Amino acid sequence: MTPTVLVLAETSGGLLTGPTKEAIGVARTLAGSDGSVAAVTMGGPSALEALASFGLKEVWMADVPPEAATSGAVAALAAHAADESRAALVLLGGTTFGRDVTGRLAVRWGAAAATGVTEVAITGPEEVHVRRPVYGGRATESRRLVGPRTVIALRPHAFAEAAASAGTPTVHALDRSVIPVTEGAARRRSLAPAEPGSGPSLSDATIVVSGGRGMRAAENFHLIEELAQSLGAAVGASRAVTDAGWRPTSFQVGQTGRAVSPQLYIAVGISGAIQHVVGMVSSRTIVAINTDPSAPIFKVADYGLVGDALTILPALTREVRKVRGLPAN
Amino acid sequence: MEIVVLIKPIPEAESRLRATPDGRGPEPEGIKFVLAGYDESAVEQALLLKESLPGSSVHAVSFGPARCEETLRAAIALGADRATWVEGPPEGSDDPVLAARALAATLQTVPHDLVLGGKQAGDDEEGIVPGAIAELLGIPSFGYVTDLRSSGPSGLTFLRPTEAGVEQWEAPLPCVVGLQQAWNDPRSAKLPNILKSRKAPILKVDWPTTSTALALEAKPRSIGEKFELPAPRTGAKMIEFKTPEEAAEKLVRLLREEAKVFP
Repeated sequence: MTPTVLVLAETSGGLLTGPTKEAIGVARTLAGSDGSVAAVTMGGPSALEALASFGLKEVWMADVPPEAATSGAVAALAAHAADESRAALVLLGGTTFGRDVTGRLAVRWGAAAATGVTEVAITGPEEVHVRRPVYGGRATESRRLVGPRTVIALRPHAFAEAAASAGTPTVHALDRSVIPVTEGAARRRSLAPAEPGSGPSLSDATIVVSGGRGMRAAENFHLIEELAQSLGAAVGASRAVTDAGWRPTSFQVGQTGRAVSPQLYIAVGISGAIQHVVGMVSSRTIVAINTDPSAPIFKVADYGLVGDALTILPALTREVRKVRGLPAN
Repeated sequence: MEIVVLIKPIPEAESRLRATPDGRGPEPEGIKFVLAGYDESAVEQALLLKESLPGSSVHAVSFGPARCEETLRAAIALGADRATWVEGPPEGSDDPVLAARALAATLQTVPHDLVLGGKQAGDDEEGIVPGAIAELLGIPSFGYVTDLRSSGPSGLTFLRPTEAGVEQWEAPLPCVVGLQQAWNDPRSAKLPNILKSRKAPILKVDWPTTSTALALEAKPRSIGEKFELPAPRTGAKMIEFKTPEEAAEKLVRLLREEAKVFP
């Protein structure tokens, strides 16, 4: 069997995004030595150069401006490319865009589908196995996807990015007439770009530093932000903090906030109420800093420090900056 | 505006999850299923839109086993005008594409200007159903939506936070919208409404009807094989220290050398 794996490629500033490079890496593994990896892009000619440096044999290309790139338009073009490339599997990065297209593409192309995938293997002629975290990372499921066609959106950061590899792909232009007319009335009016230097968002971050009531006052919360900055981490908060108005609710981690599962979660001055824990317990490594040695947070943490956050945090930030070779603040 | 809101019963946040005896899926026995998370926000959003547009109605629709009925009653108690239970296959299925096909078959028979749902279910977190339904209905769809507002009788505006920044969109009706969890504190049901909702009629679309309509597509193609829970955490390794500097130095060393998660 020589499977063709098609990657829906996304670019940003003329470069492939991290999740797309992750998808190309997975596609190379799945295609093996006798299969091939192709890509479909909405980015037009500017995306071609980025794709050429990843050794793809064939690229299906459309030029859809981001203002009109609805999930319906993209799914129609991607399904068309999947047909033409005779792909058995379409891989998408775990971005907003990729996740949004998956369900539409599955129906349009007549495929089985899964999202948030952390492991994937082709296990038979019409069978793919995937593993994926569920229930906010509190459990993991394995699923069997059956049929000749499969669409899979990967979980961000779960796979290594593909290394560059030179090549000159054959380019096929996609016919935009496959886009349903009903998509024409939707328009992106504006994009407020993410602030540079604002750090990763809570859901994308590989490290999260969260503060709770133990920070004692809003004016101490900058200590959390300074540690986060030294680690390249996102800042989170417990409900006590957002209820008190120290930080907006968009910072809240937990049952009524965001569920996160970073590589490292540092909970500072957070007691560990179940409503908070369900939103962070699937993090790979958890550190807790709390004055109360009986705080429930120490039951879910991997490393615990009993002490005052207000004295430990500045020392920790200094140590992190020293070890990472960053200038002292 | 005829608003359809899609909801799915999910285990209470505090539930102790475990696998079924055959290990293939989560055990529903002994779990309390509720209207929660993204879906609770979606119901709130549907009610806010209804209140802002006189003459609108909210129709709650749920696909799956019999426990859907209780979740639909929760939506009625909050203010939904009517409810439909689309029964799932007797052997059960958690294939999201199959769920979308069953729901779309029902939606084709009811008025829908706006189909609202969570961007993903709070349990399986697939996020496939909203887009798949829209594709089947032949209308646009938008996931990860916040700040949804009506812009007159035939359109919507909303924001969508993406990796690149926050997008602002205008969309026509009909369409499907998958919502981020809202920050608008969903309302609680009032006791008289809870009591009234117990007797409210719920329309049932049975599985034989749906499976006939779906024909060959009535078979799941995504099948749960194994449901695993992580080994319980055994409690933190406590780091002893005399000074904050010692605490910092020890923690950073453990994160680098033992946990290997230091950037």
